[in-house]
Amino acid sequence: MTGEAEYVIADPVVASVAARAALDTPGVVRLEPGLRGLVTAWTRAARGRWQGLDPAPIDGVRVRSVEGGLTVEVDVVTSAFDQAAAVGRAVQRSVTRGVAEQTGLAVDAVVVSIVDIELERR
Amino acid sequence: MAVNETGTDYELPCGRDLDALWDRLDSVDEHEATCPHCGTARESLLALRSATAELVAEPDPVPPGLVGRIMSAVRAEARRGQMLDLPTPEPGRVEVSEAAVAVVLRYAADSAGDVRARRCRVRTVGVASDGGGIVEVELTLAVRLGNVDGAETLARVRERVTTAAAARVGLTLAKLDLLVEDVYEDGE
Repeated sequence: MTGEAEYVIADPVVASVAARAALDTPGVVRLEPGLRGLVTAWTRAARGRWQGLDPAPIDGVRVRSVEGGLTVEVDVVTSAFDQAAAVGRAVQRSVTRGVAEQTGLAVDAVVVSIVDIELERR
Repeated sequence: MAVNETGTDYELPCGRDLDALWDRLDSVDEHEATCPHCGTARESLLALRSATAELVAEPDPVPPGLVGRIMSAVRAEARRGQMLDLPTPEPGRVEVSEAAVAVVLRYAADSAGDVRARRCRVRTVGVASDGGGIVEVELTLAVRLGNVDGAETLARVRERVTTAAAARVGLTLAKLDLLVEDVYEDGE
């Protein structure tokens, strides 16, 4: 026995951290869950209620771990005050950094989909 | 009016009636204890009952903004159809929906004055060396009747749209076609 322990970080944890990192990026108005994400969020919320937990939001974030590689997909709405491409790149960087800092996992790729750009509303 | 003896068409293969099973969900008789059909049906009914009970017990039956969230999800789903790649040096991809780009470009055209943007079609025609998509845009416009200098107005639209594509989205337009298909009068 070397006393080493193996830590397994579940995908929803990575997703929550990634969602928070993406939301905190300047120029991001909100995450966009889409229909599939909405259903997943409800299921998670319901399960969380049964267990007395309030799960962190992961709307609009999908995590895929394929053959040891970790890919995070984020769907966002950006503000037209900032350049969409620049905001997208900033989201890529902050998700990679946030996941590394909070879970110790290295993200191999971040796919940012800007589904909408908000003009001067609100 | 003739009334069906069982009162329902939901009869199980064993001959038992689903409604009757629902009525006696908590008291199982000898047949139901061993019958696989009744057993399966009973399990489904129990799951249904607990799910409905949970919904009834939900203190906040309709989460605030539920309709808004569903509609925004539906709209996002529609926009997700066609995506354009934006340049990025980071591993992964940055993409933007054509519909989102169209909204930004139409808005830019409107701001030029004396015109109103109608349709905006965005097409990817290639990939630039930085990984970003090369796009062609076709913008349909209506110009104000009595507009003194049409050529100048269109030049202004072209400038605004090209600038918005670069500044607000990060796209370089390979081609911008402006089609004037209508006129409008002030106050319309």
